[in-house]
Amino acid sequence: MSPTVGPVSRDFNPYSDNGGTILAIAGEDFAVVAGDTRQSEGYNIQTRYAPKVFRLTDKAVLAVNGFAADGNMFVKKVKQRLEWYRHAHGKDMQLRAIARMIQTMLYAKRFFPYYVYNILGGIEEDGSGAVYSFDPVGSYEREACRAAGAAQSLVQPFLDNQIYFKNQTPAIDAPFPRHLPLSHVLSIVTDSFTSATERHIEVGDGLEIYIILAKGKTLSGLGLDGVKGLSEVTSTVDDSDGSASEGESLAEGERIFVLRRELKKD
Amino acid sequence: MFLTRSEYDRGVNTFSPEGRLFQVEYAIEAIKLGSTTVGIKTPEGVVLGVEKRVQSPLLEASSVEKIMEIDSHLGCAMSGLTADARTMIDHARVTSQNHAFTYDEKIMVESVTQAVCDLALRFGESMENEDAMMSRPFGVALLIAGIDELGPQLYHTDPSGTFVRYEAKAIGSGSEAAQAELQDKFHKQMTLQEAQQLTLKVLKDVMEEKLDKHNVQLAQVTPQTGFEILSEEKLQSIIDAM
Amino acid sequence: MSIMSYNGGSIVAMVGKDCVAIASDLRLGNQALTIATNFEKVFPVTDRLYVGLPGLATDVVTLRERFRFRVNMYTIKEEREIEPETFAHLVSSTLYERRFGPYFVEPVIAGLEKGTNKPFIATTDLIGCLTLPKDFAVAGTASDKLFGVAEGLWEPDLEPEDLFETISQTLMNAVDRDAFSGWGAIVHLITPDQVITRTLKARMD
Repeated sequence: MSPTVGPVSRDFNPYSDNGGTILAIAGEDFAVVAGDTRQSEGYNIQTRYAPKVFRLTDKAVLAVNGFAADGNMFVKKVKQRLEWYRHAHGKDMQLRAIARMIQTMLYAKRFFPYYVYNILGGIEEDGSGAVYSFDPVGSYEREACRAAGAAQSLVQPFLDNQIYFKNQTPAIDAPFPRHLPLSHVLSIVTDSFTSATERHIEVGDGLEIYIILAKGKTLSGLGLDGVKGLSEVTSTVDDSDGSASEGESLAEGERIFVLRRELKKD
Repeated sequence: MFLTRSEYDRGVNTFSPEGRLFQVEYAIEAIKLGSTTVGIKTPEGVVLGVEKRVQSPLLEASSVEKIMEIDSHLGCAMSGLTADARTMIDHARVTSQNHAFTYDEKIMVESVTQAVCDLALRFGESMENEDAMMSRPFGVALLIAGIDELGPQLYHTDPSGTFVRYEAKAIGSGSEAAQAELQDKFHKQMTLQEAQQLTLKVLKDVMEEKLDKHNVQLAQVTPQTGFEILSEEKLQSIIDAM
Repeated sequence: MSIMSYNGGSIVAMVGKDCVAIASDLRLGNQALTIATNFEKVFPVTDRLYVGLPGLATDVVTLRERFRFRVNMYTIKEEREIEPETFAHLVSSTLYERRFGPYFVEPVIAGLEKGTNKPFIATTDLIGCLTLPKDFAVAGTASDKLFGVAEGLWEPDLEPEDLFETISQTLMNAVDRDAFSGWGAIVHLITPDQVITRTLKARMD
């Protein structure tokens, strides 16, 4: 008599968590989208440089965080859809259109989701800075700022305090500003990431900050000339050496810059 | 009469040795039997006008529909086999709604026109294991009017799937005379009112019956109110002003 | 659901220039249900030493009484007030006694050393493993948020009123992002001359 064999269950988990954190803040006529560059799995650092922030058009930047494989594939598909749209309609997609398209793309995989939190930043049709945040199945919202990823819980309450002035009372003759200047926003972003790096093991190594400026805006106009590690990545700018000179740019519309910073590697 | 074409006017997607698709050409001929339809573009919006052939005094003129809405910013007038236009307009409406759903923005006029024309050439024998879709070309031409970020626009589509943008265009049985008159009277800086007047004037001149509010229909697309078919009262007042 | 977050609550302590502060929220919950909004978790040990006990509420009360007992015994035997560092070790050994059946509490200690007025803060895990930070200590259900905000707001050598503002902002903005903490807050600011206790006007939702 052969021994009876019970049912054997095997499970396979198609997802993993690759750590890292992303963050975006909208200004009046600019948006800032940032992410660290560490990619990890458990206690193992897979690489110290894996970008999580991507330029989509000259006015849209997408940050993806969560399962890196899904994130990279998702960005690839978004870029493909943007190109198809350009061919079909003869123009670049507006930011709000990209936001809606991302929702439909995410929801299309409602029952086998991209395990990714998306934050889209850029310039709206009316020239205002905008941030859209998404959950993995496409629920989305336009906000002034958002943090996501491993250190979301560390960074978001800090942003509530520093961007929305939560729990602060304005002086009678000095109401809180609705929008912060770029230089101030950049220090909040850097502080957020150094703080997160200090207290979260999955955050660190490098920081990439994308700055999207509305039409006609310049870095010097926003008090940011002569900052080191800043390079322009606007598509119409063929800038091979990568240094952001404040000379006349070829770009007539929105402009995008990247600011790279080191973070602690321990 | 058509004996010389006997070999090549059967298969809908068979070229003749001279490089012609007879069925498509016949379809274009069919439009010339249709009622006259006029479209005029102005900086203030686009005007569409159609002649409704009221065949019998017992016919309810209001049931003849030759101008239809595609979306709030898009309208369409037709000439030819109007039943075929239903399929095309349905496709245009679905395309427009899908675009709004996916991109949270209004579709551009050229894009819906392109979508309709993509459909126009899907006739002919089916591929293996596929259901035949359409057996013949559409027998209808459309004037698609709309407004997008590029401003007011007027497109003409025909059964070959070709589409062209016009400032003013007439199609249907009286189109030759109508187009000649448009060419004579149209100018770029027309007001919407002038366009309404010209549309009716052109229709009146090519119609056999006397023009009244029952045998013509007028529609317009403007930045303020989007697409609208003008009410009988409005139409009457424009007729009165002629 | 973890027993550490059964009742909710958070504590933060910070070092300033010749001063320390310790603050807590006021919520007592039964999982998602809020039971009380006046549940203090920070207790005086001496007039310049405080201990905060976030965690399982029953253990909070029990430990408070056990620490009171042990501190009283120390005071009587030694005929002097207990010093912050000594108290930290008392907390540590009390918790480690229950190594295999622990109290579900992660204490935070804040005080000024006698004579020198040197600020002292400490925190332990639920079995008494001591940590002695030089900047700030956090514990409770909003600890990750507290870490984030404190790391961003805290700076060395804060004067008492600046320290009060820093710890208050840190606590309130952290607990506002935590469903298990909040519903009011209380701050104890310990300076060489006095202890200033203030309840904060915080979000009540």
